[in-house]
Order: sequence, then C-alpha cells, then structure tokens
Amino acid sequence: MMNPISIILIKVLFVFILGTAALIIMQKSLRSLFSIYAIQSLLMAFVSLVLFKETGSFVLLALAVLTVVTKVIIIPYMLNRVRKDSGIHHDAEFRYLTPVSAIIIGMALIFVIYSSFLRVFQLSQDNLFFLGSVIGVSLAMLGMLVIFSRKKIVTKAVGYLMMENGVLLFGVFIAELPFIIELFIIVDLVIFILLAAVLSMGIDSTEEDLTRKLNNLTKWFKQ
Amino acid sequence: MFLFAIGVGLCLLSALICVVNTRRDNSITRKAALWLTIAACLIFVSEGARTALNNQPLQYSFSQIAPQLQFSFSIDRLAAFFILVISIVALSVAIYSLRYIEASTSGIRRNLFVPLMNVFILSMLCFVASANSFAQLLFWELISLSSFILVMYHYEKEETRKAGIFYFIMTQMSTIFLMLGFILLYNATGSFTIASSPVLTAGTNTLVFIFLFCGFGIKAGIIPFHKWLPYAHSSSPSNISALMSGVMIKVAIYGLVRYVLFVLDPQLWWGILILIAGTISALLGVIYALKEHDIKRLLAYHSIENIGIILIGLGLYIIFDSYGLSDLAFLSLAASLFHTLNHAIFKSLLFLTAGSVVEETGTRDIEKMGGLVKTMPITASLFLIGALSISALPPFNGFVSELMIFQAFFQAFAIPSHYVIVLLVVCLSLFALTSALAAACFVKAFGVIFLAMPRSDTVQQAHEVPKSMLIGPALLAFLCVGLGIFSFQIFSWLGYQPPMPNLLWVSLSLFIFLGLTVILVRAASGHVTRRAETWACGMPTPDSHSEYTAAGFSEPILTFFKPIYKTDKVIERNFWDKYGAVFKSGRADIHVMKIFEEKLYIPVANAIRSISRKVSAAQNVDLDTFILYSFITVIILIIVAGWVL
Repeated sequence: MMNPISIILIKVLFVFILGTAALIIMQKSLRSLFSIYAIQSLLMAFVSLVLFKETGSFVLLALAVLTVVTKVIIIPYMLNRVRKDSGIHHDAEFRYLTPVSAIIIGMALIFVIYSSFLRVFQLSQDNLFFLGSVIGVSLAMLGMLVIFSRKKIVTKAVGYLMMENGVLLFGVFIAELPFIIELFIIVDLVIFILLAAVLSMGIDSTEEDLTRKLNNLTKWFKQ
Repeated sequence: MFLFAIGVGLCLLSALICVVNTRRDNSITRKAALWLTIAACLIFVSEGARTALNNQPLQYSFSQIAPQLQFSFSIDRLAAFFILVISIVALSVAIYSLRYIEASTSGIRRNLFVPLMNVFILSMLCFVASANSFAQLLFWELISLSSFILVMYHYEKEETRKAGIFYFIMTQMSTIFLMLGFILLYNATGSFTIASSPVLTAGTNTLVFIFLFCGFGIKAGIIPFHKWLPYAHSSSPSNISALMSGVMIKVAIYGLVRYVLFVLDPQLWWGILILIAGTISALLGVIYALKEHDIKRLLAYHSIENIGIILIGLGLYIIFDSYGLSDLAFLSLAASLFHTLNHAIFKSLLFLTAGSVVEETGTRDIEKMGGLVKTMPITASLFLIGALSISALPPFNGFVSELMIFQAFFQAFAIPSHYVIVLLVVCLSLFALTSALAAACFVKAFGVIFLAMPRSDTVQQAHEVPKSMLIGPALLAFLCVGLGIFSFQIFSWLGYQPPMPNLLWVSLSLFIFLGLTVILVRAASGHVTRRAETWACGMPTPDSHSEYTAAGFSEPILTFFKPIYKTDKVIERNFWDKYGAVFKSGRADIHVMKIFEEKLYIPVANAIRSISRKVSAAQNVDLDTFILYSFITVIILIIVAGWVL
C-alpha cells in the first residue's frame, strides 16, 4: 500500500508533466523548448524517485539517475550548443495543425485515452497505475503530434524524446522492466539517428533537406 | 491408386522430356512426350471408368505439411466420373496436338507447350481427386496459372494480351472467393477435409455457399461472371480452348456439386438461385452466340449456354430434394452430370474441328469462310456431328441430357408450392427457347463455314488436315453418337433406369424411316434429273457475294432481341438516280452493345481505378504525413479497444 502523500505527489507530477507537454506543443523558442523538455525529464525522474521510495527497487533509482544525466543535462546541453552555433533560435513553422488546434486536439486525445483505458483496464479512476498508463500513452501520442505538426527537424527530435518519456512512464506503471529497457533502447536509437542528422546537417534542416543530402550519397553506388 | 500414380508419373515424365529439350527444336521429342501423355490419359480413362462403375472409393494421402495440412486424395464415384470426363477430352486433345502444335512459329514455345498442357491436365485431375480444401486451393491456383500461360501462348498479339490479363484477374477473383469460403469452413469445422459437417450454423452455411458459388461461378463462366470466357477461349490455341471449354469449366461445376451436395446443407433458395442463374446463362449465352461471327467466340458463348443447362439440372436437384421428391431430384442430377460429360465431348469436338478450320483458312471470321465441305469433308462431317449434338437432335448425346432435364421440368407439378411451379414453368419455356436458338445458331455456323462457295482465296486453297488432327476429334464424334444411342443401356449398366425412351430403338426407327423416305422419293421422282442454273436475282455471274451471310442470318434475331443486344443499325445508300430506284453503293452496319462489359465490368473497373488512384495519392506522401496516418490509426485503435471490443 502506497503512502497517501506519495500518491498525491505523483498525481501533482502527472499534472506538471502534462503541462510541459502542452508547452512543448506550443513553444516557438528553441531555448525554451529544450528547457521545457529538460523540466519534463526532471519531473519524470521525480516520479521514478517517488516510486523507488515506495517500492525500494534500485532499478527505478538507476532510471531516475540515468534520466537526469542524459535527458536533463546532456541532451538539452547538446541541443543548446547546436542552437548557439547555428544562430537559429525560433521554430515557427507548423504543419497540419496550428498550436491552438494542436492543444485542443491534445486535450480531446487525453480524454479519449482516459475513457478507453477506463473500460479496458477496469480499474478505479484513482488507481495510480491506471493514471500512469493514461498519462504515459497521452504523452507518447502528444509527442507524435509534435513530430508531424512541426517542420524543423530539431523540434521533431524533441517530439521523439517526448514520445520516449511517454513510453517510459507507461512502462514504469504498467509493463515489466525488461520491456521498458527494450523500448528504451529502440526509441533511443531513433533519437540518436535524428540527433546525429541534426548535428551533422545543421539545425535549420527540414526533412526535405535531409532527403536531398542522403540522396547525394547514392552517387557512390552508381559509379 | 497405383495406376493413377503411374499415369501421373507418365505425365510428369512427358513434361520433363520437353523441358530438358527446351532449346532444341525437335519434333520427335515432342511427339514422344505427347505419346506419353496419351498413354497417361488412357490409364486415367480406364481407371476413372473402373472406379465409377465399381463405386469403390480410392484413398491416398502423403506429404503432411502441418498437423492440418496435407495432400490427401480420395476418388469416389463423383470424382471418378469427372476424372473420366477430363481424361477423355485430354486424350483426344493430346492426339490432336501431335500435329497441331507443330504449326507454332517458335521451337521453344512448341517445346514448352507440352509440359504446360500436362501441368494443366494434371492440376485439374488432382483438384478433382483432392480430399481436402487446402490441396484443392493449391491445384486451383495451378490450373489458373498454367491455363493463363497457355492463353498467352500467342502473346505477341494485342488481343491475346488483353484476353490473358482479363482472364488472370477474373481467375484470381475466383481464387479469393474460394479462399474465403474454405477459411470460413475451416473456422467452423476445424478441418480442411471435404466432408459433411453438422456443426455448421445456418449463417456460415449460407455465407460459405455464396463465396463458393461466386468462386466456382467465375471459373464456370456463369453470367454475369462470364466475360473472360469469350476472350480467353478465342485467343488461346484451339486445343487449349477445347480443354478450357470442355474440361476446365466443368472442374468448377465439380467443385460446386461437391460442396453443395456433400459438405453444405442446401436450402431451397439456393436451388432457385442456381436455377435462375442457369436459365439466364443458357438464354443469354445462346443469344450472344447468335450475333458472333468469330467461330471460336461463338463456341465460347455456347459454353456459357451449356454451363447454364448444367446449372439448371443442379438447381432442379436442390429444389426437388427440398420437397422430398428424391426420384425427380436424382433425375435432375443425373441429367446435369450427363450433360457435363456430353458438353465436354461435343464442345471439345467443335473446338478441335474449328481449330482445324482456322488453321487452314487463317481466319476466325466465318464471313470469310464458306464451301469448306468440299475441301475438308471429314472435318466438316465431324463438325456436323458436334453441331447436331449441341443442337440436341436425336439420337446424339446432347439430346438425351436435355430430354432428361425436360422430363424433370415436366413433372414440376409434383411440387406443393404454386410459386415454385410458376417459376419452373417460366424457366422451362426459356430453356425450350434456348434449345431452339442453339439449333438456329449451328445452322448458321455450319451453313456459312462449310456450305455454299468459298468467300476468299485462302479458303479456296484449304485442304484436309493431317490424320492426327482428325483422329482426336473422330474419337469424340464417335462418343457423341455412342453416348446418345446407347444412353439407356449405359444408365441401366450404372444401375439407374431413367424415365426416357430407349434411344437404340429410336435411332433404328429413325434410320429405317430415313431409308424408306429416300427409297420412296427416288421411286416417286421417276429417276428424272432436271439440270438448271440457280436463279441469281438477275445478276449475270452469281459469286460468293450473293450468298446468304452470317450477318444476314443473324439480322432477324438481332432485331427481335433488340432490347437485349441494344442493337444499333446504320444503313447508308447511294443511288444513280434521284428517285432512289437504281442502287449505286451502300453500307450497312449492325452495332451490338456489349452490355455486361459497358454497364458492369467497365464501371466497376473505373471505380476500382479511381479508388486505387486515391489510395496511391494518399500513399505517395512525406514522412510527416505517414506519422499523421499512424497517429490517426493509433487513436482509432484506442477507440476500438475501449468501445468496440
């Protein structure tokens, strides 16, 4: 049985996590975008810490530490460095959805996931694991929404990172840990590729630029 | 089963000989291979006949692929009967092919022809002998693929390519329907074995029937699934047309009979549906045949007509059986199966003889033929036997099976439901019309092709085909006569006494009356022969242009059935004088609308193309859009998981 204070704390953290997701969807300033992502990752680390306190599982502690080191410090630092080098500070290009409509759809999405999971899992609405799974899947879906609604590849990368946070949250509350690690690695690989592309091709590149540059490589095979 | 295995082995060996020698254009190798095929067919004929007469089922299984998947064969009386049908036609086609395939231009193509034909024949035999639906589906696909390649034999012609693609699409549609039916059956019974199952619910029973009816119906050429048939039959080599029209479409009939009678629980409405589909196919088939001037296409439309007649028998069986009238039901089924055999024989005979004519004249257009009875007398006689059989004239085999169907129809009043009686009477009248129109069509075909004067130089130079191209069809012609005259004895031998006259006595009576008539006429005429020139409407030199043409023969029928054909006549005339008295020149065209093509196939094809374009446009997008699709899909899945499942 969990401590009631821990439960309240986790619920508050959930609210903040959703808040950061909404900010990521709307944010145009890249510096703020990376900072919000770092805050979201920090909140995730807090969730893991609280769960560690309650369950005593050291894997959760390791997860919290790993999250802080990679997602709160290293990745935002790297992204900020590239931003400074390139001198580009804003991403105001949206596709399919405007920020406001994306927020409205995001809210509707959370509601749909909540209602669906309520029927699927047949758990109490106050059950922490139920809420964790809802927030986790919502976060992953909102990350997907960021990917297709933003044009700049660096913002898409943040979308992928947000998806990964969602998968992590879902895994922590619902699935078993080996499963989490598995997904962790897969999603990390995707992020790694995207980050590598951003770092090598430049922050301002869009997908079209990326495709064009990759197409140039085909010349090697034609000779 | 051992002899069957030897037959299969001979067929495969024959195929192998030609495949090994593909690059070498050696007619001796091809002939050796064909002789092996002939030997294999003889084995199949004898074994098929023996099993059908003894009524002792043969069973054999091998190659267990998975717990539920294995190749198992079971030959009962029904399967043996169809094996007999296939092998008789295959035998005469193989004999005919000894010389026929040598006419092809390319040596490689000639070499590939024999293995493909053997695979085609073997896959049909294996389909009939298969004891489970999994094996049947596999052989069904083999039938489709091998026949598709054979249809594309003259692939350099645009017409052939179009026919081949049309056929391929239709045959794949048929496979999809069969697959759906078989999967449903497997889901319901947990087994692929073809056997009656009491666990089938009414819904599954009906759904399986609909899928199988569509699947087998496409291959059988039931209207409105028939359109591939005239194209494929006319474009393929004549011996393959004989196999396709004579046998392949019967394999579909076998499938329908097997599943409807032995696996499913037939309902009254199935019988009514099959009867109506059969009547429409029979009537429209012969009506469309009447307008055709392409000999092979004309015969192909007659295949649709005869498939309709076979279905009429099957439909009557189910209807009578539903009312517990087992004697009438059995009569209908016997008529249907006997017509299957008869049609296989006389249609193959007609296609083979038509192939000889096309080979000699270089054209399929009967308007350009004429007078061939003088240059190809044996072929003409064989064609005439086929034409008399298909026209259901006594004492030929076609007459017997149609008479049996008429007998079944006449006793429709035993049915307690008035609505069904009315339906049967309507179908009977349409069936009678069909028989009459078929006779009219073959009067046209035989008259225009073989009688009067040649209409082109090539036709004038035509000569009788080699012996093997006569022996194959002659075998079938002999069966046309034999199965007709000895039909009563054959049925008695099989243990069934059909309510029909003994055709042996009828034939003898006919022969005696014919002889007496000739004697009387000769005696009455006083042996005086009057020689005079035929009146040629005032023309100085009557030539082939003054002859009655196929178009002229069809014109009254085209006019009469205008609502069906949507006939459009264009007549232009020019005169020397202003009063329109002295004719100078003119042109007359009769355009017939391809109703099913223009009103059904093309709109459906256009709709599919339009959907495909939209799907293609939706698919040809960037990564963002794909992620958007994934996003929408996941949302739909979440909704489905929450509210539907």
